[in-house]
Amino acid sequence: MAWSTCTATTSCLGGGGGGVNAWSMMSLKSALPSIPTTRTPSLRFPLGPHSPSCQVKFTHRKTPKALLPSYTGLSMQSTLPSFGSHGDSTSFEHNFIIIDNGSRFFAMRHGKKVPKLNRPPDQRRALLRGLTTQLLKHGRIKTTRARASAMRKYVDKMVTLAKDGSLHKRRQALGFIYEKQIVHALFAEVQDRYGDRNGGYTRIIRTLPRRGDNAPMAYIELV
Amino acid sequence: MRRSIEPLAVGKVIGDVLDMFSPTLEFTVHYGSKQVANGCEIKPSAAANKPKVQLSGSRLSNNLYTLVMTDPDAPSPSEPTMREWLHWIVVDIAEGSDATKGKELVSYMGPRPPTGIHRYVFTLFQQKGPITEETRPPDARGSFNTRNFAAQNGLGLPVAAVYFNAQKEPATRKR
Repeated sequence: MAWSTCTATTSCLGGGGGGVNAWSMMSLKSALPSIPTTRTPSLRFPLGPHSPSCQVKFTHRKTPKALLPSYTGLSMQSTLPSFGSHGDSTSFEHNFIIIDNGSRFFAMRHGKKVPKLNRPPDQRRALLRGLTTQLLKHGRIKTTRARASAMRKYVDKMVTLAKDGSLHKRRQALGFIYEKQIVHALFAEVQDRYGDRNGGYTRIIRTLPRRGDNAPMAYIELV
Repeated sequence: MRRSIEPLAVGKVIGDVLDMFSPTLEFTVHYGSKQVANGCEIKPSAAANKPKVQLSGSRLSNNLYTLVMTDPDAPSPSEPTMREWLHWIVVDIAEGSDATKGKELVSYMGPRPPTGIHRYVFTLFQQKGPITEETRPPDARGSFNTRNFAAQNGLGLPVAAVYFNAQKEPATRKR
């Protein structure tokens, strides 16, 4: 955690006159650890009248100058709008700031190859789990091209787990495939079928579009 | 001519059922009004009766052909233990005519895929001469092998092939 002994009692009166109202609440939350921002130090401190109550708590606060270049700790994020636009914040879903790409946050999706399939992440995962279960059960299924090409990774992963064959991998496969009979059958027969093949356990054959919505369809089958 | 066998290679018909060949003849297969194209989906109910198979070419030549229809994905594409399932054999088809003019060695059985999506392959072989009595129909429909059948009867490589997909229809109509 970002607790560090601090001697920042010197500049409590540094005082920026501009951010009075915005920062007055900060004193209430100053007991909590907070991420030092890259803002000008003058704005970080409340005015004089509040300073006595703050002074005790300043010992927990870092000096504004000693900012960590890449901060990866977790801390409570205050709900002030002034805290809202941290340059290094990547998560908006909960109050913990988790930075895992080196504090870089882009507004665009350039280069990210994860297929979203027009679904939220939980539903997407469930869809792919269901599709791989059905493919392993039936051997060949017909679905849309986007789903077929998104499935390949997961089917290959399941076959790779089965090729390993240990108990841990079996349990991992059981956690992904919806029907356990299929997992046991897969683990039993994958050595004969795919023992020599390295990867690429599926084949996609494009076919005619679907009548209802002209969606491009494809067969995906186990090689 | 290469382009017409690419779908067969992509659908792994060449490989599972046939060897690589060069198509020399064209033929069309029709179920009612639907023409069978490589990889297209045909319902088992539409394929319950034998199709019209029309060979191209001129009537004048004396070539005779054999048509074999099999299912390499029996009983299920993920576990084809009964590959291939024989559906139909017609021999002595004259060039330029259709399958009704030939002799049906094995009567037509419609597709009945129990599970999964099955491929149904029509293969056409050129015969050297009229089929004599020595060729007996196979004993069982299951575990048929088109390559062996062709080798046993001296048929050589196929001259044409086409396949379609079929899957089990849902029992009740969706509401």
